[in-house]
This record gives sequence, structure tokens and C-alpha cells, in this order.
Amino acid sequence: MIIRSGKMSQPVVKVENLAIAYETRTGDVNAVRDISFEIYRGETLGLVGESGCGKSTVAYGLVNYLGRNGKIVKGDIFFQGQSLVGKGQEELRKLRGDQISMVYQDPMTSLNPVLRIGEQMTEVLTVHRGTAQEEARTKCIEMLRRVYMPDPEKVMERYPHQISGGQQQRVVIAMAMLNNPALLVMDEPTTALDVTVEAAVLDLIADLRRDFDTAILFISHNLGVIARVSDRVGVMYAGELVELATVQEIFANPRHPYTQGLIRCLPKLGRSKASSILYPIRGRVPPPDHLPPGCVFEPRCDYARDACRAQRPPLRSLTTEQSTLHLTRCLFSEEIDAAQWTPPDGLVPQLSQVVPTDNAEPILKVSDLKTYYRHPNASPLSLIGLGRQEYVKAVDGVSFQVPRGLTLGVVGESGCGKSTLIKAIIGLEDVTGGKAEFMGFDIHRQVSHRDLAMIKELQMVFQNPDSTMNPAYTVGQQIERPLRRFKVVPRGQVREEVTRLLRAVKLDEYYYDRLPRQLSGGEKQRVGIARAFAGRPDLVLCDEPVSALDVSVQAAVLNLLLEIQKEFGTTMIFIAHDLSVVRFFSDTIAVMYLGQVVEIGLAEAIYAPPYHPYTESLLAAVPIPDPNVKQEHIRLEGSVPSPLNPPSGCRFHTRCPRRKLLPDGGQICETQVPPWQEAGDGHKILCHIPLEQLRQLEPVVQASA
Amino acid sequence: MAVAENTLVARAPARPSRWQKVRAGFEILLRSKVALIGFVLVGFWVIVATFADDCVVQPACWVGSKDYKPTPWLAVYSPNQSTGKGLSAPGPGHWLGTDRNGRDLWARLAYGARIILTLAPLGVGVALVVGGFLGLAAGYFSGWVDEIIMRLLDAMIAFPQIILYMVIIAALGPSAANVVLAITLAGAPGIARLVRSLTLDIKTRDYVAAAQTRGESPWYIMFVEILPNASGPIIIDAMLRVGYAVFAIGTLGFLGLGLPPPSPDWGSIVNVGRKFIQAGHPWDAVWASAATAMLVVGLNLMADGLSEEMQRYR
Repeated sequence: MIIRSGKMSQPVVKVENLAIAYETRTGDVNAVRDISFEIYRGETLGLVGESGCGKSTVAYGLVNYLGRNGKIVKGDIFFQGQSLVGKGQEELRKLRGDQISMVYQDPMTSLNPVLRIGEQMTEVLTVHRGTAQEEARTKCIEMLRRVYMPDPEKVMERYPHQISGGQQQRVVIAMAMLNNPALLVMDEPTTALDVTVEAAVLDLIADLRRDFDTAILFISHNLGVIARVSDRVGVMYAGELVELATVQEIFANPRHPYTQGLIRCLPKLGRSKASSILYPIRGRVPPPDHLPPGCVFEPRCDYARDACRAQRPPLRSLTTEQSTLHLTRCLFSEEIDAAQWTPPDGLVPQLSQVVPTDNAEPILKVSDLKTYYRHPNASPLSLIGLGRQEYVKAVDGVSFQVPRGLTLGVVGESGCGKSTLIKAIIGLEDVTGGKAEFMGFDIHRQVSHRDLAMIKELQMVFQNPDSTMNPAYTVGQQIERPLRRFKVVPRGQVREEVTRLLRAVKLDEYYYDRLPRQLSGGEKQRVGIARAFAGRPDLVLCDEPVSALDVSVQAAVLNLLLEIQKEFGTTMIFIAHDLSVVRFFSDTIAVMYLGQVVEIGLAEAIYAPPYHPYTESLLAAVPIPDPNVKQEHIRLEGSVPSPLNPPSGCRFHTRCPRRKLLPDGGQICETQVPPWQEAGDGHKILCHIPLEQLRQLEPVVQASA
Repeated sequence: MAVAENTLVARAPARPSRWQKVRAGFEILLRSKVALIGFVLVGFWVIVATFADDCVVQPACWVGSKDYKPTPWLAVYSPNQSTGKGLSAPGPGHWLGTDRNGRDLWARLAYGARIILTLAPLGVGVALVVGGFLGLAAGYFSGWVDEIIMRLLDAMIAFPQIILYMVIIAALGPSAANVVLAITLAGAPGIARLVRSLTLDIKTRDYVAAAQTRGESPWYIMFVEILPNASGPIIIDAMLRVGYAVFAIGTLGFLGLGLPPPSPDWGSIVNVGRKFIQAGHPWDAVWASAATAMLVVGLNLMADGLSEEMQRYR
């Protein structure tokens, strides 16, 4: 927490009653209204909220970069004392390059793909500062070193596509810091990155803020990320700032029902579905042109009263003291207590734990499964069939079993082969080697060669809500298709069955005639689930079904999946990159790295020592939405090696932070494939380090008292 | 249950009927000024061609009965009827003048529009079926199928279109069917390329994977899952192609490879008329060229406007 030296110091940026509107065909739409905040030197203000809440609009509004149809309709922005509203484009442009820097979600949108990194970086200095070429170059290399870029001289000569995503984002941050800006605006800078890379970038941001004393506006939808980087947090909802307080206050003592709801719907790392329940927020964010007349959150609020409907509550302070300022836009903030909250009826399903029977026959048995992709060879020899054929080893020797009625979670960073694994199981990819048996039948062939009866029992829920449904057909038609195809019910009852399925995914009957474009992301995902369950399959594969959804919707969809699983007794394989979600959802978990499973076991066992060193670093990297949790500081170096030429011995040896525990610096890891070590209860770890030593490691995540 | 996110949403209206969909399509058309101008230009010729005579309301005429003599409506005269003085300038009796044989130019243009507005869309329609099928198959199956289909089509694209037309007509002789065939053969490769690229994009969507995991046949996936979602760009491309086809038919007619005389083919009207330009009677050439230009420009404007509007809705 920042203790400001005297309240006299001037804020770097001060926003007063800002309102921004976008012109549309149907008139002006107010995207954000009545936003006020200030950021001081060396302080990070986090802005958090679901998509469509106006976070990015605020960021773009700060630099008046709203595009052709956006305009500031009210309020003022003071940057170092001078008002920005009404300034000319040229003046603003200079300011943006000189004193305010922005970092966006996708680094490739900020980097020019046809210019070398060195050219792009030096340009910032030579154009805005008039620095000489040579001097600019030295400064850039220094800055790259400052953002922990390995081998900065070489990187200067590369093109953006030649470095990894995490490195690209470092370059963008380095570029942003080159002018030593007074204000740095970061719009979801880590959302596109893997957890381990994200953790390193967040560390970097914290370091830079400290060293350069920059004011940072940090925007994210991820409460965990916000908790890690922010000093103060502003919570946005439907274009309004509903709560603003220090990071400690927000998480320990949230005083707005929306903030409380957001925190409740996040799965906590280390909590399972048996020990915790996710409480989704009912309803959805109102569109900016159809706002409720009173409090914007009133339609979704459990505490709503008549007074809330009468007028829009003002942003008011709960404390008198300036240093622990806590602002809220709720009339009853003093009365509502997150701890006293009881869920309204029917918000969460009644779930009883599925008890695994020990002697249950595994429904799916996979042993030494391999899926390789042919890699196009660049050599001209390959054109005439000569030259060495190379393979991308996407899945390389994976073995596991899934008992009937349980859920296997698969975690790992992107590119670890988890999606390829389930595509191979469902038959969308060729299996190169190994065996896969589903209910005793071989499923090694592509789906087009499988029996319809087999196809019916194996279904899939997809990741992207926008592409999971065919935009050309109505919801009803799309759920009907598997019913007709698998002849689940007689012809005459198809419509009835569709209605039943829609009800099962909590959608009303009239959704039958809706087209996908009329649905929200969460609703599309529900239809996708209904379609997958229509044939009453025995095994459902879920490929990151909630990763593209907002947290409140994510909670509802997770609950729904659990409820349906219970009703149908379905077995599931659940893929996700979010470790808390996987923990919440799964009974057993497999951790994958570079095409291999490195650790597998019951969910509880995975999240406590002994860990595989990779699991340990993943856990250390997860952003936890609680600033009081103590998390071990372990960061992986470098990026995931290419699956074209995986490292010899243990695949993780190039990045393993625990290798030094072994005698002579872990020589053995480079030469020998590690053995499977049994830690009891089916918990297996693929590592050279003896179990005893792994057991002695500190748990990564510890809640402080 | 209260969990559903739909609590705030009003009940959905019933599913739009086919008529409503058509109306929505027209609304898009009318919203863009460019498309509207194009629509008016094209619409003019469609109306003229349809109501040139009373054929539309006489079933005997539809089946091509020889005995039936249609009464001219909009055309005023019949296209092959000589009405006295040849090579007269535009005037009250003959709005656009008459040609060498004393035939009314307006009547010839009106009947010519009938020919061109049948052959061009028909040719493009057949090309769409052929090219669409090949493109879908090439894009969906990839691999060898793709290589073979696309290399063959590439070979066809390598020939200049006009030469392709001339070779086909010269070999098969000038007739309506052969003109359609020529347009089909010349247009199919381009359409196949477009459809293939759309297919390559759409087949990576999750709903296609969902259909595959249901064990649907490739043909079902291609025609039911992929094709409807590729239709927007295909329709716009087809509109442009009808424009090119009008042009091509005009060119063939001009070169004497169109419909045999005395058909009121716009191209051959220009060809015959050009001989009288220097004799002080440019009207044949002027009107027929202007009509062709009007139709082609109209179709292009419609395609432009539509694609602009559709992009806005992405």
C-alpha cells in the first residue's frame, strides 16, 4: 500500500465526472458515465470488471483515442495539472508519445511485423526526443536488459514474429518505458499470455513501477491479476465506477454487492467442488442503451430495495480518512456484509459428491498415446521425397485411465498438447501410436471410420462460444440434429426432448427459435452443452468450455456442467489452463508439459507437496484473487521448447527450477528419461528428484492468518 | 431457476418467416445509397425486359407456342418488325430511332434485355453450382483432391477469359446454350477459388468440428454446415459476375459470336450500328452501348453497396 507523502502532491492524472459516448445509428450511447479517480506517482490503479463494462473506453478516453465515433461528452481529465479535454489532435499526439504510454492485450498489434525490433524501438527516441541514432540504440539495449530480455543485442536484430509472445510483450513494455512516461496505461497486458509468462510480466511491471516511479492504470478482467499488481482497485460495472478502495479493502471488505458477487463466483485455488460452491451473479450486464433507471446493478442485486430503483446512487465515501479512502456507489454499503450473505433459493444446484467406487471399470483407457504432425520440410530435397521427415510431437506417450462417472482435469500451458490429446480421443486427429480403449473398444481410428453407436457415446463441448454454434441455424435446429441423427427419441418427440434439454441448461423454451447472434456468450455455451449432451453420451470432452466467458457467467456454466454430469452420470475430461477452475471441477488431474503427462493423481494430491517441479511453478504463477495469500516465488525461465525437437532426458530440464536439488546439478535430467514415482493413491510424478525431497518442499500457496 | 442469465431478456419474437427474411435483405439494400442506385439501374432493365410485351400474362407464350403473337407493351413495337423508314434519328414516333432495316431501336433494346437478363444470370448460376461444388470439395477435403481440382482450374484461369469464350463459341457454334456454357466454363474456376478459400476458413470453426464428432458425412458438413455461412461473399461475387457476363455476352455479340441474327442481341446491335456512325447515324451503337454500361454499372454498384453493408454487420 502506498503512503503518500503529504496530500499536497499533485496527482499524475485526475479524472473528474468523465462521461464518454459513442455515436451509433440509433443515437449516442453512453459507454461510461460519471467516472472520477486519480492516480499518483508510483501508484497502480487497477480497473476491474466484466467485458462490456467500459474499462477500455476509460483507458482510451484518457488519451482521447476514441476513434471516429467516440467523444467525451462530460467531465474533465487533468494530466499533471493541465486539462486534456479540448486539446488539439497534434498536441495530444505529442503527449501520447512523450508522457503517456499504452500497452495493449495483443503485443502483435503494437509491433510492426515488417520492421526489426531495433528499428521500432529506436524510432520512439529519435522521433519524440530527437536522440541520435547511436545513443538511441544503446538506450534501447539498456531498456531491453531492464525488462529481463535475454540477449538484447540479438533481439534488436530480430523481427517481432521471431520472438515468443511473452518476449513480444516485454518489448512493448520496454518501448512504453523508453520515454520514461509519467503515466502508463495497460489494457489487459497479460490476458493473451500463459500463466507462467504472465507471472513474470507482472513481476516486471511491479519492478518498473518501483524503479521509474510511474503512475500505472492497469485494466484487467482477472481479479487475481488485479490483486497482484494494484495499490488501489476500482470496480467498474455497466459504465460506472461502483467501488474504489485499496486492494486490501476491496478483497477483505468489499462494500458493493457487485464486488462481493464477483469475489464469490471465483473458484479458490485449492478448493474443490466438495468444499466450496461457486455463486454466479444472476442476470447479465445491461446494454448501455437500456440501463435500469435506478442503480445500474439493481436488477441483479440481492439487496435491492425500492430506494435503489428510485434514483441512481451517488459515489460516496465510507471513510473520512483520506489515506484509506473507500468509495462505493451503493446506498446500503454499511448494512451489507459479505459474510452474512446467504444465497437466494435456486442460485446453486444441490450437489452431492459423486463417490468413486474403487473397483469401477475405467471407461477410457489410454496407454502410450502418440499424435505427431508432419512438419513441412524447408529443404528442396523433400520435394522429391528425399530429406529427413520431421514431426511435431504434439502428444508423445500419454497414458491414463478415467473411471466411470468421474472427471479428469488436464492442465498445462498452451502448446503442451492437451487439445490435441482430446482431439485424438474423439477422433478428429490421427493417432500415430499407442492404444486408446473406450469401454473396451479400440478408438484409435478417425471419427469417420467409427461406428455411430460409438460416436454417440463420445461428445465434446468446445471452447469458443462464438464459433460453437452454426450462425445459420436456430438453437432448436442445432439441438435437434444430434437427436435425429442418433435416434435418441422417436421422431414425434424430438421437439419435446429439445425443450427438456433447453430446460436442463437453464434456458427457456422460447430460445428454440433464436439465432446464435441473438445469444450472449454464456447462452451460446449452454446450447453447446445441450447439444453435446443430447445424445446422452457416456464421455464428454470439454475443451476449455469457460475460458472465454466472464467470471460471473463462468461460475454459472461450471455449476451447470456439474449438475448435468450428476443427472446423466457422465464421465468427463475437462481441459483448462486455469488451475483453480480445474481444481474445482475435477476428481483427478493430469499435468501436461510438452506432449507428456508429468504428474497425475487425485486433485487434492496435485495441489499439495510432493509436486512435480513443473506443477509447483504453475501453482506459484497462478494469480490469486486475494492479496493476503502468501505464494512462493518461483518463475520459469525461457519459453516452452519446440515440440519438433523436444529436449533429451526429462523434457522439463531446460527450465526446471528444482534441478539443482540433484547431485552435480542434475546431469541425469539431461541424459535419462525420469522414472514414474508412485506417491500413493494413484498419484504419480515423472521426476528424478526422490519423493522424500519433493515432499519436504514448502507448499506453494499458503493463506496468511 | 434463477441461475439463467436470461432473466432480463424480454421474450423472443417468433422465428422470422421467409418473407421477413426477404424483406430484411431488401432493407439492407435500401440502406446503402450506392446499392439503391444500382438497384434502380438494374431494376429498370428487369422491368423493361419483363413487360416488353404481354408474354408474362399469356401462358401460351411461355411454352413458346408458334401461333401466339405477343402484343408489345413497353417495347411499343415488335423487335423484328420493319416500321418504315430506316436509319431515322430519335423522335416522337421512335424514341430512340430506327436501324438500317427500319426496326425500332427501343423495341430491340427491350427484347435484347430479355435475352441478356436470361443468359447472364443463367450462365453465372450454372457456374456457381459447378464452381461451388468444386471449391467446397477442394477446400474441405484438402490434400490430393485439392491439388488436382485447383491445378486443373488454375490451368483454365491461365487462359484469358475472352479467348476462352471465343474458342468455345467458335468450336460449338453460336447459340444461347453455348453462350451459357461458355460463361460457365470461364466463370467456374474463379468461383471455385473463392468458395475454397471460404471453406478453408469456415471448416476450422468449432461447429464444423461438432458436426464431425457427430459423425456427419462430408457432404452434409459441406452443404449444410459450411455453405450457408459462405453465402454472403458468394452472392456478392455472383452479382459482379453477372455484370461481367453481360459484358462478355455483349462482346461475343459484337464479334459476331453471339446469338445469330435477327436476335436483338445488344452486342450485335453495336456491331451493325458501328458501320453507320460515320454516316451520321450513331444511334444504334450509342444506345446499345449505353444500355450495356447501365446494366453493368448497376450490378457493380449493387454488389459494392451490399458488401459494404454486410461488412458493417460483421
